[in-house]
Amino acid sequence: MDSGTIQKLENLLLVAVPRDLTDDEVILMRRDILRAIRAYGSQVVLLDFTQVDICDSFFGRFIYSTSRMVQLMGATVIISGLQDAVIETMVELGMTLPDVEAVLDLDDALALSRRLGRNGSGPAPADGGLPEWEE
Amino acid sequence: MPDTLQRLHFRIQTVTDVSDSRRKGMQLALDMGFAHADATKIAVVISELARNILIYAKTGTITVLADKEPDGPRCIKIIADDKGPGIPHLEQAMTDGYTTSGGLGLGLSGSRRLMDEFFVHSQVNRGTTVTAVKYLR
Repeated sequence: MDSGTIQKLENLLLVAVPRDLTDDEVILMRRDILRAIRAYGSQVVLLDFTQVDICDSFFGRFIYSTSRMVQLMGATVIISGLQDAVIETMVELGMTLPDVEAVLDLDDALALSRRLGRNGSGPAPADGGLPEWEE
Repeated sequence: MPDTLQRLHFRIQTVTDVSDSRRKGMQLALDMGFAHADATKIAVVISELARNILIYAKTGTITVLADKEPDGPRCIKIIADDKGPGIPHLEQAMTDGYTTSGGLGLGLSGSRRLMDEFFVHSQVNRGTTVTAVKYLR
């Protein structure tokens, strides 16, 4: 997994979801996300879908399960950058993402994460500092 | 007989075949003049049907046809074919949320909503053929 896909921004963990993800890559990326939350003490994980133009039900399940796992670490998932065609397709397919907040773009995500940062505490950063990325 | 303008054929054996077939199917739809949103829906239906092949039958084929009915509109036709276990409870399988694989249970029911026509022919222990059609407007 390319480490450039996960970046820290204040209390936000910015994840640029790649255009085509294999099932194995999805699992690796999710582990990288959980490790980075612990390392940085991130309170909000932003899954940015700007590059994604095909979102099938497998992808939907990935968003939902990632959101559940992130919640168990005391953080929150926000999704952003869904293309119009992707939104239309997801809704007609019947994909509902309960408990997952969505914003239009990075500006809105940052505003929301700053608001959450003042109110919540989030997980404490681990002593180890930066996570080691998997190949 | 419909006049077949172009035909893509994929053997589905790995997840890479799934991404390859949906990507090329989407491009065919765009080349035919489908709107971006409709090409996206076609890609997702190819993806769902190809995934079903992998999950339930292990292998199978996806055929994507650019067709034209005589005196009718042009259409794209997706045919997913496998020699897998078949679908024992087809009515349930066409219902939102019904799954035997731990997925979201939207593959068949959701795909039907994304297309104009949707036929499933399945025989237990013989295999399943799904034909899905979307017309160019």
